[in-house]
Formats: sequence, structure tokens, C-alpha cells
Amino acid sequence: MRVAVSGLNNTDNPAPGIPVIKSISSKHDVVGFSYDPNEPGNYMSMTEKTYLMPYPSLGFEELKRRLLEIKEKSGVDAIIPNLDAELPLYIKYQDEIEALGIKLCLPSAENFELRNKNRLDVLCEDLGIIYPKTHEVSSISDMQKIVDDGNQFPMMIKGNYYKAYKAYNMESAIEYFYKISNEWGFPVLVQEVVTGDEINLVGVGDGEGVLVGGVSIKKLTTTEIGKIWTGVTIHNDKLMSIAQEFMALTRWKGPFELEVMANLNNVYMIEINPRFPAWVYFATEIGVNLPLMVTDIMEGKKLSPMLTYPQNKMYIRYTGELVTDFNDFIKLLSTKEL
Amino acid sequence: MQVISQLVLDENNIAFHPMMGNSYQLNNISKEIILLLRDNKSKYEVVELLKERYDVSYNELFIDVSDLYSKLRVYGLMV
Repeated sequence: MRVAVSGLNNTDNPAPGIPVIKSISSKHDVVGFSYDPNEPGNYMSMTEKTYLMPYPSLGFEELKRRLLEIKEKSGVDAIIPNLDAELPLYIKYQDEIEALGIKLCLPSAENFELRNKNRLDVLCEDLGIIYPKTHEVSSISDMQKIVDDGNQFPMMIKGNYYKAYKAYNMESAIEYFYKISNEWGFPVLVQEVVTGDEINLVGVGDGEGVLVGGVSIKKLTTTEIGKIWTGVTIHNDKLMSIAQEFMALTRWKGPFELEVMANLNNVYMIEINPRFPAWVYFATEIGVNLPLMVTDIMEGKKLSPMLTYPQNKMYIRYTGELVTDFNDFIKLLSTKEL
Repeated sequence: MQVISQLVLDENNIAFHPMMGNSYQLNNISKEIILLLRDNKSKYEVVELLKERYDVSYNELFIDVSDLYSKLRVYGLMV
């Protein structure tokens, strides 16, 4: 297949696109979908062609128009969208995109909504796991009310999509409230602090209730903005069972990442991302090629679950550099393709 | 199963907990004690066995073994 992959940023805040391309390029031709000529993936010679895409905020008609142009030029057979901002559009209009002759492997709109942070408590109840007590707030007085109702500091102040800070008093809670709402909008979430270590699982569901691949890790060190720097494979039976139950309950289709806090007694759900994390190549390198499973599902192949992988494998992210012709940048900026 | 039984011990005295991804640096004696605990020895049996192996008073051994027990509990490796 000729597969289009988005998320080509590869700086200190890398997107999942490059790891996905590295995982599938031995089996498929790859085209890049970019939103910014500055994204390093545009120049890494890992795609046949790169196309600048319209921002998701412009809506489906713009996306459809661009997809039709690209389909005609490059014969794209499938897309793996990797960015939070574009996923709602691809998920909502997946039938229309498939009708253009472009395959996708995405969860239903209903499943996508289920894992929204403001609805995760319901899903967690169905899965029988704990979701830390969470309140949605839109003002300082909402936050004050939570404190007046007897909830105690410290509390996590979180954006609905991104960022989380631990506040030890009302003063810092207000500071974080403004910091998050100015950058990410409303609602802001106020969440109970739970004790434990953050562990993560990346997986793929086949859409029929089966977890066809999964790898769990612990992040050992992160960058200043919380992105993984080093990590190690772990085998946590509770986390794997949760992922399997999540698939069975929702018949989730496509990639996902579970972020949980775990201690020896409990696992607390923090977040479910409906896409690959940028560290997905860790799984590929230890023998669980999840992006390739996604393309296999698109091709209608029946997959046997692959849930075993070596213990004690370590992931290390590092930076790289390349030099390219400035004309390539200009060409991408002006013609929207390279 | 006690978490201590799940620890992977290596030749450099590193104990790795594969369920949580945490590593702990041990010394020779603490590794020896953990191996004894994995053989279901009680605290008193551990102290007696160490006393046979090392020229240290029972009291000193008891305090040191108790100290390791506390640390294992703090790190959630023992109930």
C-alpha cells in the first residue's frame, strides 16, 4: 500500500509520525502529511513525497479537497493520522474518507468520546478500575467550591487535552488554572492526587474486541516538557488485563496508549490517548510492530495477538541533525508539496 | 506473591522489579538477605543464618536486618 503518515515533527517534542514511518517503510511506500514546513520529518528522506495539509480547524471539506488532490497525484491507499488535533476530523468522517478509496484504522466516534477526560470516570467504572476523583472547572469560584466542599491539597490541575501541574495550595492552583486555560482553554480539570509510578501501555485493537499487540513501559527519565528520554520495558499483568478488557468492552479499533499510575495495590487510570505515542518505535524494535499491525488490519488480515516481548529492554531517545537545501523549504512553503 | 520474589537480581547487585520498572542498588549482604527471604526464611532465621556466616553480634545483625526490612516496606517490596 501507499500509506500517508502525519505527525512529522521530530524535535524535542516529537510526534509519532517518524517512528510510525520507520516501522512500516519496509513493507509500504510512505507519503508524509505535514502541517508545517519546519517539521524535520519533511526533510529526512523517509517519505516519497510530503504534502502540506490544511489545518483541521478549516473543516472536512478542506481536508476532502486536499485528499482528493493527493489521491490523484500520489495514489494514497491509506492514512495513519497521528495527531490529537486532527483525529476528531478523521474519526468523524472516516466513512466519507474510506468512500474516497482511502483506508483508515480508527476507533468509532462513540469510543473516541468515551475516553475524553471528562467522561473517563464512566468508562473506568465499566472497566472496574479507579479513576481519580475529577472535577471540571471553568472559573476560580468553581475551584474554590471544590476546596470548600472538603477536598484537600495537593490537587492536580490539568488541561482537558494537555499539561498537568500539582498544586499545594489555592494560590498555586489559581496560577496553574490561568496558565492552562490561557494556553488550552476550558474546561480545566481538578483531580485528586494518587500515589504510585506512572506506567504506560501502547497497543492496537482489531475492532472486534481483541488486543492484537501491546507493550508496557516505564519512563525512567523525561525532558523538561515531560517527554520520554529513557524508558524500560515492564511486564505488568494488571495493566495488560485492563488493556484487554478495554478492547473487549469497546471493540476499539486502531492504536491507543494507556497512561496509568500504579502502586502494588491499585492501578489508577490517568488518560487514554487514541493514537500511538511518539515512543512507539520502542515496541517495534523489541519485536512488536504495532504500526504494521495497523496496516495489516487495514488490509483485512487476521492477526494473532502478540503480547510478549523481552524484559529489561531500554529505550534511549537522542537528537540528530541534518543539512538540506533551503530551496526545499521554500518549495514546500509555496507549492505545498515536496 | 511477595514482590520480593519477583525481583530480578543481577551480578552487579541491581534488583529490578519488572512489574513497575523500578531498580534498586543492593550491597552483597542485602542481596544475601533478599535471597534468604525468597526461601521463606523468617527474620529470626535470617539473623541466625547470617550469624553463622559472619563474625557479628546477634544484636547488631538483628538491627541491620530490621533496618533492611523497613526499607523493603518503604519501597513497597514487602508487606
